[in-house]
Amino acid sequence: MSARLTGGMAWLFYPLTAATMLFVLAPLAVIVAMSVSANAFAAFPPRGFTLAWYGRVLADPDFLSSLSFSAMLAAAATAGALLFGLPAAFALTRCAVPGREALRVILLSPLIFPVLVVGVALLRLFSDWNSNSAPFNLLIGHILVTTPYVVRTVTASLLLADLSLEEAARTLGAGWFRVFRRVTLPQIAPGVAAGTLFAFMVSFDNYPISMWLADAQYVPMPMLIYRQVASIFTPAVPATSTLMILFAFVVVVLMERLAGLRRAMAM
Amino acid sequence: MTATIAQPQVFRVSAARLMRKPSSAVLMGVGLALPALCFLALFLMIPAVRLIAAGFLTQDSRGALGGPVTLSHFTHFFATALYSHVLVVTLRISLWTAALAAVLGYPVAMVMTRSHPAITRIVTFITIAPLIVSVVVRSYGWQLILGNGPAGLLNYVLLSTGVIQTPLRLLYSETAVVIGSLHVFLPMMVLPLASALGRIEPHLEEAARTLGMPAWRVFHRITLPLSLPGLAVGFTLVFSLTAGSFVTPAMLGGTNAQMLGNLIDQQITAVYDWPFGATIATVLVAIVVSVNLFSMRVLDGKRRASA
Repeated sequence: MSARLTGGMAWLFYPLTAATMLFVLAPLAVIVAMSVSANAFAAFPPRGFTLAWYGRVLADPDFLSSLSFSAMLAAAATAGALLFGLPAAFALTRCAVPGREALRVILLSPLIFPVLVVGVALLRLFSDWNSNSAPFNLLIGHILVTTPYVVRTVTASLLLADLSLEEAARTLGAGWFRVFRRVTLPQIAPGVAAGTLFAFMVSFDNYPISMWLADAQYVPMPMLIYRQVASIFTPAVPATSTLMILFAFVVVVLMERLAGLRRAMAM
Repeated sequence: MTATIAQPQVFRVSAARLMRKPSSAVLMGVGLALPALCFLALFLMIPAVRLIAAGFLTQDSRGALGGPVTLSHFTHFFATALYSHVLVVTLRISLWTAALAAVLGYPVAMVMTRSHPAITRIVTFITIAPLIVSVVVRSYGWQLILGNGPAGLLNYVLLSTGVIQTPLRLLYSETAVVIGSLHVFLPMMVLPLASALGRIEPHLEEAARTLGMPAWRVFHRITLPLSLPGLAVGFTLVFSLTAGSFVTPAMLGGTNAQMLGNLIDQQITAVYDWPFGATIATVLVAIVVSVNLFSMRVLDGKRRASA
């Protein structure tokens, strides 16, 4: 590790960091505070204390159908991302592919390409194909945005795994699949699991792809909240948002326990 | 981001060690990467190229695209004050966001890499956790804080403490969009910076200190210059992601701070003008790609110069 911050540097950087942490937490804390306010308008100061909005949200059929659809979509998209991403990451780190650097750039390119434009391009493609199934179209779009995250995390995990163990196993006569299953996989499993959770949340939270491909019947969670905020007046929005924050919080804690957050994101 | 994964030495060793029969190793690598490549080609590259091409085509009255090939949508975009204004606003918001992210993110990255492990863990957690909360939810939180009128949190606090007499109008402005984008993309600045700072050889800083250099000079002469690649990666990421955003300007900017993403949405879902929507998308892609190419160039130049 590098040297610790001391003296004037510490006096400067610690308070600034604390202020930034407050900035980061503020909008989330405000939502949580408003979610238990008895006031029907999201106005300050919050008045009273009630859990009634939560009761209303949990009984709302729109909320429940969006939640289950988003969860299924994210699970399916993550599975697809693993299917494409795992072998690709393996090719990047364990095989002699020609043009490896170019391959890596291509595989990670959806991270840089504006997501909104990916959505428009897909809408155009699907309307030309007369592909009217919103779940299918959304699944393709979500696999597209989640795959690079899987490639990135798995690549990083594979680079950290001990190669001499794999080599020893091969020398002792194990085939490549056995080496992968018995030696490589146990080493990369925590990182891959944490990265998979992150990919799940990338899909679960996605708006700029879904906004083009969703229809009236299949409304992912972020679109439901967006609509409730923008067009319909719903006093339960803070409660719905708080549930989203709590869900994210549980996943983050899991990711942190599994592999550490920076490893999970490979950043 | 990408720079943190690239470890060419490790790649080379692994390839050489595992390559008993070169041809089969090559075949296996290609075979493993092929499904992902085909998927990307089919659903990203080809649709993107077709979308960009649509910006040069003409739409007939039934909505079908065809000839003649024309540059008129691009000239229309740049010549119309309304649209070029959105371009300027997009660039301005993205620049401010990236610059402020650097200012706010640097101390955080320093603390993340140079303090007690417990503090490192807490700071990392608070920095990354909001990334997993939907942008819609986070923008909604900012709506509550910045709300115009006396019921917004900030106005409520400032009014009741007597700092201001009339409520501020913060929501639905460029400032609000910059604040919201900063909140959304700050981790994209902190993480590359933290990995650059973490890679600096601790002995360098120690040696300078031992030789009597004051702390701020060590920072200025050693830490800061060596962290510049991380700063460049973070700046590029935050700038490109902000330029392509939709939710934050829609929820916090309203009609006063429209960005290119909102214009694309408007042209395609409301006006149903595909060629013009494609034109705006092409402008957006051009901005993002050129910023990324430029920063890759700069970083490569630096690497070569230091090697």
